[in-house]
Amino acid sequence: MSKTLRPKVLVVGGGPGGYVAAIRAGQLGLETVLVEAERPGGTCLIKGCIPSKAIIHAAGLFEEMTRASSVAGHLGIRLETVPKLDLAATMRWKDGVVDKLTGGVAGLLRRAHVTVLNGWASFADAKSCAVETADGTVKIEPEHVILATGSVPVELPSMPFGGNILSSTEALSLTDLPRTLAVVGAGYIGLELGIAFAKLGVRVALVEVAERILPLYDEALTRPVADWLHKHDVEMHLQAKALGTSARGLDIETALSDRFTIPAEKILVTVGRKPRTEGWGLEKMAIEMEGRFIKIDERCATSTTNVWAIGDVTGEPMLAHRASAQGEMVAEIIAGKRRRFDPAAIPAICFTEPEIVSVGLDAPGEEHVVGQFPFMANGRALSMDAGDVGTFVRTIAEKNSGRIVGIQGVGKHISELAGEFVTLVEMGATLEDLAGIIHAHPTLGEATHESALKALGHAIHV
Amino acid sequence: MADYDYDVLVIGSGPGGYVAAIRAAQLGLKTACAESRETLGGTCLNVGCIPSKALLNASELFHEAKSGALAKHGVKLGNVELDLPTMLADKDKAVTGLTGGIEYLFKKNKIDWLKAHATFKDAHTVEVAGKSVTAKNIIIATGSSVTPLPGVAVDNDKGIVVDSTGALSFKKVPGHLVVIGGGVIGLELGSVWQRLGAKVTVVEFLDQILPGMDGEVRKEAAKLFAKQGFEIKTSTKVTGVSVKGKKATVTVEPAAGGAVETIEADAVLVAIGRRPNTEGLGLDKIGLELNKRGQIETDHEFATKVPGIWAVGDVIPGPMLAHKSEDEGIAVAENIAGLTGLVNHDVIPSVVYTHPEIAGVGLTEEQAKERGEVKIGKFPMLANSRAKAIAETEGFVKIIADAASDKVLGVWIIAAPAGTMIAQAAQAMEFGATSEDIAYTCHAHPTHNEAVKEAAMAVQGKPIHI
Ligand SMILES: Cc1cc2nc3c(=O)[nH]c(=O)nc-3n(C[C@H](O)[C@H](O)[C@H](O)COP(=O)(O)OP(=O)(O)OC[C@H]3O[C@@H](n4cnc5c(N)ncnc54)[C@H](O)[C@@H]3O)c2cc1C
Ligand SMILES: Cc1cc2nc3c(=O)[nH]c(=O)nc-3n(C[C@H](O)[C@H](O)[C@H](O)COP(=O)(O)OP(=O)(O)OC[C@H]3O[C@@H](n4cnc5c(N)ncnc54)[C@H](O)[C@@H]3O)c2cc1C
Repeated sequence: MSKTLRPKVLVVGGGPGGYVAAIRAGQLGLETVLVEAERPGGTCLIKGCIPSKAIIHAAGLFEEMTRASSVAGHLGIRLETVPKLDLAATMRWKDGVVDKLTGGVAGLLRRAHVTVLNGWASFADAKSCAVETADGTVKIEPEHVILATGSVPVELPSMPFGGNILSSTEALSLTDLPRTLAVVGAGYIGLELGIAFAKLGVRVALVEVAERILPLYDEALTRPVADWLHKHDVEMHLQAKALGTSARGLDIETALSDRFTIPAEKILVTVGRKPRTEGWGLEKMAIEMEGRFIKIDERCATSTTNVWAIGDVTGEPMLAHRASAQGEMVAEIIAGKRRRFDPAAIPAICFTEPEIVSVGLDAPGEEHVVGQFPFMANGRALSMDAGDVGTFVRTIAEKNSGRIVGIQGVGKHISELAGEFVTLVEMGATLEDLAGIIHAHPTLGEATHESALKALGHAIHV
Repeated sequence: MADYDYDVLVIGSGPGGYVAAIRAAQLGLKTACAESRETLGGTCLNVGCIPSKALLNASELFHEAKSGALAKHGVKLGNVELDLPTMLADKDKAVTGLTGGIEYLFKKNKIDWLKAHATFKDAHTVEVAGKSVTAKNIIIATGSSVTPLPGVAVDNDKGIVVDSTGALSFKKVPGHLVVIGGGVIGLELGSVWQRLGAKVTVVEFLDQILPGMDGEVRKEAAKLFAKQGFEIKTSTKVTGVSVKGKKATVTVEPAAGGAVETIEADAVLVAIGRRPNTEGLGLDKIGLELNKRGQIETDHEFATKVPGIWAVGDVIPGPMLAHKSEDEGIAVAENIAGLTGLVNHDVIPSVVYTHPEIAGVGLTEEQAKERGEVKIGKFPMLANSRAKAIAETEGFVKIIADAASDKVLGVWIIAAPAGTMIAQAAQAMEFGATSEDIAYTCHAHPTHNEAVKEAAMAVQGKPIHI
């Protein structure tokens, strides 16, 4: 016998979009059901942001220790022997982090009185949903639907995932380190993982069709990352196409139509992600699309009344914090609050080596003024071995008003500057405002301050 | 009208002085700076912020490696050894890089460095290395130096009873280090040597460490330090230190009086505070008096009572922090040049670079409550996914907002990168932000700063991740 639930809100997908929407809806007293085929947490917690950052952290420590085992040592630390990697322990630790966080989310959902159904949801029409759970089919006829089905990795037709061909998901759960790894696609996911594996001692080769790594970011921002790759013997094949695999590795074709094989035990394909729009009845819901994505307005409403969509399934940037911010907002709208999704900026971070942060406008025009300040002249950076040549913070403002419209940076440990960058852009700060804000000394944020002074024509430390 | 050698003469080249000099030169003023030290940069660059942070950074990594903490990440190490001379040399390199940088900036901005102690002859003349130099405006940026403890003789060369400068260069790791004073400097330098292997005892006169910070933060910090192995003796007074051979004996008694106790130590760090540098400056020659605390008083433009004489930094009232000095340096130069230079003293962040770091800006809970009703939001780092992903889950973010207007009055953070995180809070406060403004700002995932957003949501009533 199947039962029918008639909640106020049905959320489909338990990623950072869906679970945040559900918790917020629950907090606001709305009767809420969340359907998730796996455990709650989504791409982000289970096979994305979190496990990748855990492994990147471990890889960073391993690399620093490898440097300490050199003849010269590192920062006054000397190791008698080269450090050894116990990959199983690394993976156990990473899994522990993921378990704690997903367990935490489950607890939060419980406390917000959200009913969680474990199973695959499919729709017969916009307001009729069926979920196959372990205890049988559950029907749901909600007043509101929030679609948060997220995204999946894009496969190359010539190289489907499986065997030695990995998506980011498998790469984050390897049981043995390959000696050689080819990474196809040098976007942020490919680079974050490629760099982590290089730090762990794997010989890594990158293949990218564009003429630069991280093609979505400008050259100045990506150069320090490219420099790191050069310095650490990571092979780079730019303007090159992956053709397929052969016994020895990955076949590629270069811009000059040369063909050859990159020796690779494993091949990681990170050529992008696509919205998960298939297999759950989207086509039966009469919802308008916009290209590959579900079309939404600034309230995350779809073309069908009381059907909302959030997160990766709705378009770029496919980032966890965009999904969460949308989720929070939709819950509040359903509860009767007036909200719009109109952030002045959504920060983006690449946890590469060094890290890149970008907020707001990044391509200045005639009408803009730019101030750039190097970490080489920042005391905190120098005190933690982070003053590399070519790393900087850059502030872009309107010439007329002085209003800051974009801030970017590249440098070691700068991911935490994202909060400051986005606060400035969100508050509509001008260069003068930023110049007037006292920054603690010695901190990396002083570089942000100086970049504004530079744009105003009077930086102190350069 | 009298002709002067310079439009502006700055006395002292710390962050207050060198910044004032550079800004004055940028504004087209003919500028000189007197500095008696062999290098520019003052306390901060030579024997303060920069060398201490370099050692904190390196010692942290050493401790992580030595303690075996990396094994859980799958990084297995053999024997880990400390190469103290190299660690100290690396620190010195960071210092010379930066002090040399200031020298370059002086040249670039055509600032004359007068390499000697300066003494006033009159309000427009100072004597430097036997020569009289005149200036239309003189900025006193002489900074501060270590407050001595009566009856305790510091000898940095001998390396047994030292001040902060000596504790930046111990030749070997002391077995037992007694730190007198549980303030920022004592705890930072205590942390360095504790990580490198010393047993550290902190003796503090007050009933809690970290005076000036939020009460809850002080309590939590004490717990964390105790967990790291610090022995913290609060409400305890040091009555004497005697040195015999290579050992020191510290005599202490309860602050309220009571039984005397002695502590044996291999080294003793005196870190009970800093006092303004005005001795030998000849202030009597210009009729400038000090306040009760030995500081030079200024108005909000940093002008003293004597026309043409200005002062900034540690030598004037306010927190003794490098960034306060710097911003005052910029402001005073602008005021001299006829622009308007102001410093908002209500929004000056402060950072303690221990592990985890501790940072705050604005009012403490105690101060805020004295002024009216407040709402408080707190969020633990344990529930922040970035903190989890790097196994640094100690601490919390605490936001104090006005109960009626929701305006943020103070933000306090204990977290591994609290020093970086506090910038965002200072910014929001500078803009008079409400906690709702912070709560509705899209924060990048996964970052520690999401905890700031969640704490703001907690002020609103409901964070998501707890
Ligand atoms: C390796 C990697 C690293 C990343 N790093 C970052 C980073 O550092 N920062 C960042 O911001 N973003 C990062 N991302 C992107 C981030 O993970 C996504 O933007 C985010 O997870 C999107 O959230 P979402 O809620 O829209 O969807 P998802 O997290 O994809 O969640 C969708 C959920 O819905 C479930 N689902 C789908 N359809 C159904 C159905 N019919 N029935 C039941 N359940 C269903 C799925 O099982 C899934 O759990 C990374 C991604 C990867 C792959
Ligand atoms: C160990 C330690 C760690 C610290 N860490 C931090 C930190 O992390 N963050 C922070 O914000 N602050 C920190 N501080 C405090 C910071 O160093 C001071 O607040 C800052 O240096 C004050 O700047 P100033 O320009 O006022 O004076 P100072 O930096 O003290 O500079 C004054 C200079 O003037 C020179 N001078 C004095 N009198 C004369 C004279 N008559 N003629 C010529 N020259 C003269 C002195 O030689 C000195 O170089 C730390 C201090 C110490 C000791």
